[in-house]
Amino acid sequence: MSRALNGLILLALLLLVALPLLFIMLQALFPHFSEGSWRDALSALPPLLNDPQLSSMWLGTLKIGGGVALGSLLLGLPLGALRGLFRLPGAALWDLLFLIPFLTPPYIVALSWTLALQRNGYIEQLTGINFDSLLFSSSGMILVMTLNIFPVVYFAVSRSLLASGQRLAWVARVHGASAWRGFWHITLPLTLPALAGGVLLAFTLAIEEYGVPAALGAQARLTLMTVGIETKLADWPIDLPGAASLSLMLSVVALTAWLLQRKLTGSSDVTAVSGKPVNQELAQAGGLQTLLLLPFALTVLLAVVLPLGAMTLSGLLNTLSGGLHLNNLTLRHFGALFSQQGDALAAFSTSIGLALGAALLTGALGFLIAWRVSEGKTRLLAMMDGLSLLPAAMPGVVIGVGLILLWNRGFWPVSPYNTIWILLLSYSCLLLPWPVRYVSSALRQLAPTLEPAARVHGASRLQALRLIVLPLVAPSLLAAMMMVFAVASRELVTSLLLAPAGTQTVAIFIWRQFEQGSVGQGMAMATVTLLASLSLMLAATTLMRRHAK
Amino acid sequence: MMLTSAMMINDAQALTVYTAGPGSLSKSLAAGFEKQTGIKVNIFQATTGKVMARLEAEQANPQADVLISASWDTAEDLQQRGWLLPFNSANAEKVPDQFKTAHYVAQGVSALGIVWNTQSNTPEPKTWQDLTAPAFKDNVTTPDPALSGASLDLLIGLQNSEGEKAWQLFDQLKANGMVMSGPNAQAVTPVLQGAKAAVFGAVDYVTYNNIAQGESVKVIFPENGTVVAPRPMMILKSSQHADDAKKFVDYVLSDEGQEQVAKAWLMPARTDINAQRPLFTEIKLLPTHQDGSSERSAVLKRFGTLFGQ
Repeated sequence: MSRALNGLILLALLLLVALPLLFIMLQALFPHFSEGSWRDALSALPPLLNDPQLSSMWLGTLKIGGGVALGSLLLGLPLGALRGLFRLPGAALWDLLFLIPFLTPPYIVALSWTLALQRNGYIEQLTGINFDSLLFSSSGMILVMTLNIFPVVYFAVSRSLLASGQRLAWVARVHGASAWRGFWHITLPLTLPALAGGVLLAFTLAIEEYGVPAALGAQARLTLMTVGIETKLADWPIDLPGAASLSLMLSVVALTAWLLQRKLTGSSDVTAVSGKPVNQELAQAGGLQTLLLLPFALTVLLAVVLPLGAMTLSGLLNTLSGGLHLNNLTLRHFGALFSQQGDALAAFSTSIGLALGAALLTGALGFLIAWRVSEGKTRLLAMMDGLSLLPAAMPGVVIGVGLILLWNRGFWPVSPYNTIWILLLSYSCLLLPWPVRYVSSALRQLAPTLEPAARVHGASRLQALRLIVLPLVAPSLLAAMMMVFAVASRELVTSLLLAPAGTQTVAIFIWRQFEQGSVGQGMAMATVTLLASLSLMLAATTLMRRHAK
Repeated sequence: MMLTSAMMINDAQALTVYTAGPGSLSKSLAAGFEKQTGIKVNIFQATTGKVMARLEAEQANPQADVLISASWDTAEDLQQRGWLLPFNSANAEKVPDQFKTAHYVAQGVSALGIVWNTQSNTPEPKTWQDLTAPAFKDNVTTPDPALSGASLDLLIGLQNSEGEKAWQLFDQLKANGMVMSGPNAQAVTPVLQGAKAAVFGAVDYVTYNNIAQGESVKVIFPENGTVVAPRPMMILKSSQHADDAKKFVDYVLSDEGQEQVAKAWLMPARTDINAQRPLFTEIKLLPTHQDGSSERSAVLKRFGTLFGQ
């Protein structure tokens, strides 16, 4: 059975990941590949390598990626540790609040920050101070991106702590270790795989992020790789081979980071969930409880309230040039959403449907992959692992072009291209690494004896998987699926490129409003969508919790 | 249900139109055409760059029947590649010669100007050079010509008419703190909020739309001249629906179609249709004719070096 399963997984990975990447690679090597010709091989590379901008683009990208990874670590680790170790009032609420940065398209967040912080922005209109020079600098870019990306570290750390519990740290305490020593020598090392995975994810997310660098980079005089790739595709003549080659370079960096992380954490297997019944007792913070909440409240203020406040406000202002005055407030942008021949509503239901589909598909596939990979160390399994994580290293625009190159061919008897299914494929490809990574780090904490124990007692492989493994990794899997849902519901770059003519998603709708200069209407749509998807996710969590009881 | 209905929309009978913005215009043109002929139209609307990238990536199996771009060069280039179906619409009679060829014809025309915030406490600029005044120190943005074909046309137009003096102007703008920021909309938004006072070379129709919404900005066409950007409309040779495509081009150039173009604050391509904004006959134009793409990339490179990192 496991051979059949391996085959099935490999087939899925082939279709979702390997083939689009192969076609991109062919495009990079054979500049006329999109016309179906193999001539002039490799002719696109020399001009690309001689481009004087290339090295500054690299330095900028690595600097931003490193900065965001470090920032996410500094912000996500303490918050995640507090969440995972202590009984926190309103824990579920904080989790949900930290999901919000994921639900908002990065370019909207960047634009909201701009409207709030730039000269004559909302903050200056209210207080007389502006942060123009901070915002349009590499530190500003790192800050904005960190506030958007740090939740991956937060969730990785807190989920892993919640799963492993603190039994081992207590053992240390019983043997005389101080609370700090217990954390430093026991708890922290146990979460290390999850932490490293989270930080790596933050790094790759940052180097493949397009929205924020595009919105802030020009004024900060910083061109990042993704923007460089996009520029090659933005003006006539379109440079497909150049864009493909740059993307491959970008993926090599992300792959290197991934290998590094594997090397760093690969040797130390940590078993925290042994299967013995554990009382999931979280520490009581006692009188310090309010103090504990302070960092959470501050982070929410910065990462959620400020940018989203600016976003909502922009949707409520009659005109931007009118500024913050009571008589400049209006609901007309919100009203207009419902009068555009149902466009807004159609875009919303398309996005929600796709996001749901992507979450289910990547959740199921990601779980199976992580589980298979955790079971052995054969070359086949390592390849499976690598393939499933590869899309995290690819900028969205490239996956989009790869999918066109692959599927828009005469030789396919049926093709998802030019139907809505191509969007499901692209979201699933882009987001598959999330469940794989989250479930993998959860699985690495499970004792390797759990499944054999179940088998010894007569459970079939499938039963062991369903009754033992799945429930134990469920928190991580669900958190990852939520994130997939959140990101897919607002994905812009591949949607713009792949949406079949006549179909709109939420992000496309908003982007078109901006492009026509209707900032207010775009922001109104962003606000409504955010509230709607938030309520959907809230309903889902509540339902699941009730079900669990 | 949503998925199946979306799939059914993409049936083989419909006409597929790839078009640059504005989205409201493409939608109303599609609706009007469908009402008149009963032919369903699928619109793919994005920036010119995205539309062309998709066209390029789809070469192996082309999907588009009609293409409307915001940059005249793209049409010239596609024609040289032999991708276009020649077609002379009967309705194109009143379109001036410079806006039509045997293979493509303008849908509408936009112009580039200065967008100026009227509440910015700066003197109203009358010429491009006015933006180099101390009042506009650190107060001007401009779209990235690498992302906006029309801005590049403006640079070329200025270079053709003023030679090296044009580059002195760009140097002075740079010295005065002008920043280059993304595509057109990204350069205009800061001026709406008042973070900057003016845009050097913005596409006019987007701002006319902003003004109609009540924003306190003004479009100024400098006395020393500017450029217009005709928006070429063409039929692809690979089209399986050439007859319907021709009907669509006819419709866009009909009275009804051109009035919709005017309603989107563009200049109609036909001279006999009125608009509520200055027409290209009323704006002083710079000479834009150029010797091809080598000049474009040279100008782009020089400007990029000046305003890039």
